[in-house]
Amino acid sequence: MLLFWILGVVILFGLIIYGLQIVAVRLALSPARNRKGNSILSQSCPPISVIKPLKGLEDNLFGNLESFCVQDYPEYEVIFSLQDENDPAYKVVRKVREKFPDKAISIVIERCHHGFNPKVNNLFSAYRLSRYSMILISDSNVMVDPYYLRTIAKPMDNPEVGLVCNLIKGVGGKTIGSIFENLHLNSFILGNVCFLDKYLRIPCVVGKSMLMRKSDLEAVGGLASVKDVLAEDHFIGEKIRGQKQKVVISNYLIHNVNEYWNLRKFINRHVRWGKMRWKIGGVKYLLELTINPVFIACLLLLLLGPTEKSLSVLALVCLIKIIGDFFLGKSISTPLHPLLYLLSPIKDFLMGLLWFVPLADDTVVWRGNRYLMGKDTKLSLSPERGAEWKTRIVEGIKAKIAW
Amino acid sequence: MLLCDLHIHTTYSDGSVKLRRTVDLFGQAGFDVIAITDHVVNGNNPFGKLANRFKFSVTDDSFEAYMRHIKEEAERAWDRYGMLVIPGVEITKNSFSSDKSAHFLLIDIKEFIPASWDYEKIFLEAKKQDALIVACHPHRTSDKAFVDTLFLWNNRDKYARYIDAWEIANRDDVFNVISLKKYPYIAGSDFHRIRHLYSWKSLLNCKRDVESIKQCIRSNWGVAITLFRN
Repeated sequence: MLLFWILGVVILFGLIIYGLQIVAVRLALSPARNRKGNSILSQSCPPISVIKPLKGLEDNLFGNLESFCVQDYPEYEVIFSLQDENDPAYKVVRKVREKFPDKAISIVIERCHHGFNPKVNNLFSAYRLSRYSMILISDSNVMVDPYYLRTIAKPMDNPEVGLVCNLIKGVGGKTIGSIFENLHLNSFILGNVCFLDKYLRIPCVVGKSMLMRKSDLEAVGGLASVKDVLAEDHFIGEKIRGQKQKVVISNYLIHNVNEYWNLRKFINRHVRWGKMRWKIGGVKYLLELTINPVFIACLLLLLLGPTEKSLSVLALVCLIKIIGDFFLGKSISTPLHPLLYLLSPIKDFLMGLLWFVPLADDTVVWRGNRYLMGKDTKLSLSPERGAEWKTRIVEGIKAKIAW
Repeated sequence: MLLCDLHIHTTYSDGSVKLRRTVDLFGQAGFDVIAITDHVVNGNNPFGKLANRFKFSVTDDSFEAYMRHIKEEAERAWDRYGMLVIPGVEITKNSFSSDKSAHFLLIDIKEFIPASWDYEKIFLEAKKQDALIVACHPHRTSDKAFVDTLFLWNNRDKYARYIDAWEIANRDDVFNVISLKKYPYIAGSDFHRIRHLYSWKSLLNCKRDVESIKQCIRSNWGVAITLFRN
């Protein structure tokens, strides 16, 4: 009985946080209704260099890249950056450039091994070639509307603002992996980003879209300062905040297009993200499980058996989560079929299981590379499977001595 | 070099992806040329009757709508992606025996050709329409759930003169017999599902128009194959 009440309190806590997340999302999005208003039209529009690091074919790649070439913005350039001309994305960017011959579009291909983070490696050459003092780093799986640049540039009118990033909305799910991904982005990720920003004043920088001044980035050590960490976006944000500058989350929702993901890709990404949060947040990561009421309700069922109480709690929590996620989806106009929200509790249960992985495993596989991840997501090369345990013990001891 | 996939199925036959989504999928991935080649199945045996019954085949009745839809999508693909979409069919002569089964593409077809006609009559009609004739997966494949289609290869002495190219690679398989006989070749995905996007493709060194592509394949000059992977 005691166990029932303990877990019941945890579930209630999770549901209250979830409710607050929904309110935070509503608060964050409410000014967006006026985004096309006069205030945007009267803003200054500094020239922007948009840097798009590319590797491989993302879902909807042509459309994503095209959306950055049709921005309603006076002066900007787009630099597509690749590491290899055999990359299938090269063919796509060439076609995009052919389609917009009048736009300032450059393609830069340069193998770069400055650090362990492949995305940062991919940024160096494009950064060097960029012409303007304002840079926007944006992932290739992002699609935006023509007024995106105007919206994201607006907070930069305030010289105290050092970085502007965006909220993310997952769109386009056509397979189970991508449906899970979009459900998760539109509930857990969006909810937590808004929650942290609105109630705790902690802006959570997600690297899918980051606008900043070159001078500010260089003042904190430039790209070289984050070349060996996996969460380069988080640390750029932290360093800029450390310079007493504000990090602002724009209320413009960028579209993260995930169409044909399989379950493995979904699991791989969220295990990686979980490991990053564990390495950055430390014990705070442990709290994450308490804000997954579906998983705690499943735990209750497992520990107490299929009693009337435990089954009722699970059913109620699932119902609340389905309705809540549906409401969140409607709030951000997600084109997801209403019946697919029934999968939300299954996704949450899976995420509950994945929550444990970072506690036991420090390796990450990202874009075909295998790394060991240390404190603050610092990367080092991981040996091949088999020898990894031995090496991890040695690396772990070294790390303890170093810190 | 043009990145091409000339062997693609949609929900007009047994593919799992609708035509519009198929076009978008290939367009978003940067392809230059694709051919939509849904099955036209022979209706003179139980296989064919079932295929026609469950609409896994383009028929005389549905052919006009099929071609009209491809034309609409071809215009959209050209405007949006600069990608050429060519209409075609895969003549599907299925039998219980591998030795009696054959599949071949008719690319840039204009009028319906029934699969129940005999081979020579189909080939001659295709030639009359100036369609490109490609023998599909002509040898033993790795897909054990699939009845091999060996008829054309086993009877190549008789039919090779009608065939413009042979599939030297299909999805995950490579047929080295085509190379040994020095036949003209192309590669195609035999696309039925999303995952088949990543498979063997053709690279053609020619202009991006239908006549140049047919000429390139027929002359087998400037043709290469590539395993397209992400």
